[in-house]
Amino acid sequence: MTVNLAIPRTSSVVLRLTRQCQCAVRANPLAGQRTFSVLNRPTPNYEGHVPLTPIERGALAISSAIWCFFDPTRADLIAALGEATAQPFPITRLRDAMLRSPTGRRILRDRPRITSQSLNLPYLRSLPANTVGRNYVEWLDREGVTPDTRSSVQYIDDAECAYVMQRYRESHDFYHALTGLPVVREGEVALKAFEFANTGLPMTGLSIGAVATLKKAERERFWSVYGPWAVRNGLQAEEVINVYWEEELESDVEALRTRLGIEKPPDLRAMRKAERERRKRERQEREAGLRS
Amino acid sequence: MPPRPQWRPKRPIFLRTPCPRHLRFTSTTTGAPELFDVVCVGGGPAGLSLLAGLRSNPSTSHLKLALIEAQDITQPPRPVAPGSYSNRCSSLTPSSAAYLQRIGAWSQLDRSRVQPYTHMRVWDGLSSAAITFDPPSTSPIAYMVENTNLTTALSSLITSLGGVHTFSPARVSHIGHGPTTPTHDLSSWPTLSLSTGATLSARLLIGADGAASPVRSYAGIPSRGWDYGRVGVVASLRLSSDSAPKTAFQRFLTTGPVALLPLPGPYATLVWSTTPERAARLRGLSGEDFGACVDAAFRLGMVDIDYLHTMSRGQVEEVAWRKKHTAYSEADMPASVEAVQDGSVAAFPLKMRHADTYISNRLALVGDAAHTVHPLAGQGLNLGQADVAALVDVISDAVSTGGDIGSTLVLEEYVARRWGANHAMLGVCDKLHKLYSAEWGPLVGLRSLGLRAVDKLGPVKGFLMRQAAGM
Repeated sequence: MTVNLAIPRTSSVVLRLTRQCQCAVRANPLAGQRTFSVLNRPTPNYEGHVPLTPIERGALAISSAIWCFFDPTRADLIAALGEATAQPFPITRLRDAMLRSPTGRRILRDRPRITSQSLNLPYLRSLPANTVGRNYVEWLDREGVTPDTRSSVQYIDDAECAYVMQRYRESHDFYHALTGLPVVREGEVALKAFEFANTGLPMTGLSIGAVATLKKAERERFWSVYGPWAVRNGLQAEEVINVYWEEELESDVEALRTRLGIEKPPDLRAMRKAERERRKRERQEREAGLRS
Repeated sequence: MPPRPQWRPKRPIFLRTPCPRHLRFTSTTTGAPELFDVVCVGGGPAGLSLLAGLRSNPSTSHLKLALIEAQDITQPPRPVAPGSYSNRCSSLTPSSAAYLQRIGAWSQLDRSRVQPYTHMRVWDGLSSAAITFDPPSTSPIAYMVENTNLTTALSSLITSLGGVHTFSPARVSHIGHGPTTPTHDLSSWPTLSLSTGATLSARLLIGADGAASPVRSYAGIPSRGWDYGRVGVVASLRLSSDSAPKTAFQRFLTTGPVALLPLPGPYATLVWSTTPERAARLRGLSGEDFGACVDAAFRLGMVDIDYLHTMSRGQVEEVAWRKKHTAYSEADMPASVEAVQDGSVAAFPLKMRHADTYISNRLALVGDAAHTVHPLAGQGLNLGQADVAALVDVISDAVSTGGDIGSTLVLEEYVARRWGANHAMLGVCDKLHKLYSAEWGPLVGLRSLGLRAVDKLGPVKGFLMRQAAGM
């Protein structure tokens, strides 16, 4: 008589534990953060998902915040900072804001992505000058970027909240077109202030810290003009996350702004150009005065 | 100088001839009133249970009893189709069931339409905090009974016991004080004139005539409380599967609790306390959309539930989509709704009322006439049954010791036994309703912590279960 001693192999034990954690995470995504450890990660909830423990998330937030303060061109770190700080409440609040609006719900159902394949860029270039689509593609061409440069969301646990974050990231370029703020550091900070007042994502609020890296004149302009504009408009406007951009490409920008309740800010490029001209003129006068 | 009108002392309030405007009907007195020991106005569960209790108790079975009921309860009830349940159901606690068994009414119930349930799950709509009741013994938490089943059983018991003069259908057109005849001084006996022309005088008048009790108005007893600004939507539902063990589910949404209580087979009764606007929306939905809303009420987040109430149709598809993206455990949920029984969706306003006292000279109130409670704990009918049990006890004690069953000296014992306990239950249900209506973050966190703590503390949970069961 043989006795079947079925001693489970280590790999099957790990698999079983992982599956149990997976069940726990599926039942409640936030419960997974308490029950898993570095050696016992749950399975991803969507393609590209990287579940993090709270310590890992905190370390990611702090380190990416410090690094992109000194090097704001690191868009991937800004993205990581956004994802690390958005849970559990800010991204859920943003998703609920989408669920409260009929358009937002349609966006969540359709889950459109803004890529160079999904948008017909040559067609957008052919649109009239006052349309959202034309403004957007002109902005893309001026800055030399494509819609594909945005990184994918990795660190948000809930699949739907991950899509909301992705949508926010891809819509950021449209916010530039909507507000008319350029991609220089000053314009980005002003736009981030507007996004913070409107979406409430902590990363946008932390990005206002980049004011410290601006030049003196730029800082003064921010505190006197663009900061107040951003706060006032961000709070009173409709949720910009609920704009179905794919359907608004042919709308008039001004009409869309009125519908959302956003005032057009003073033209930053024109102000900067005027400032540069003024300084150039002063320098020339000073040199002429020294020579004579 | 014209003579001054003679000053007469005012009668104490409980002896004053009443006649609030709404009771000023034409009174027809034909001859001397018929004398009864106990006249019960109202043939609902409380009134019928009281008379059945008095008849089945040996020390009070000789009393002359009368029942006055506006609806015709002498006709046999209409046969109901199998699988069709009344939308007014009550949850009978073990103590109510024990009392009904003692008086012999339990065996008269149609047991195939009574559903005992052994498990209960209650959870929060804003957090994942939940409490589950699954008693170790096989005794049920409560029994779901249709109100008509109960009243029919009590009526049959009274008919089989006999000895109760039933005036049905008959309305009370006037309540006053009796005449003083050469043989009787009925000036302190409540005397009723009925729409049929009969007049009765009662040694003890029982008001079991519901929340808007005319007997209570006659006695001048104020009833204090407030309206909740909510209505209870009721419906009879067919679920997709017959679950075992039978479980009662209740979820506290911000607008009020939604409860799904099991009936025999794959059926359940719904009690959903919500705002009047949302109730109107729900009642206007098609059967499938209504069922989808009920499913959503237990599974989806408040944001989705709020949005569903803004749609006039299409909830089925919306709920199917949202279920895929909401984190919940299907094993903890009631079975999904397959169909809504035609014509069973109704709504009734919710309020809390408590009479200042239950007694007056030769008068006692039982049931909803004395108190109205929020349905979230399923206590309304059970408090009435407990009142009746206490009153029957008090009357039987009085009769055995030779007391006057109508005197306040005797009846005060009834108030002492029931008023405090009822007040506590009303208060607890009211505070639970207010606590779970709050949306403020820290309060939600605190109440979730409390609920989880109570769920883990066996003795505390057992104490609460016993209190709710009336033990």
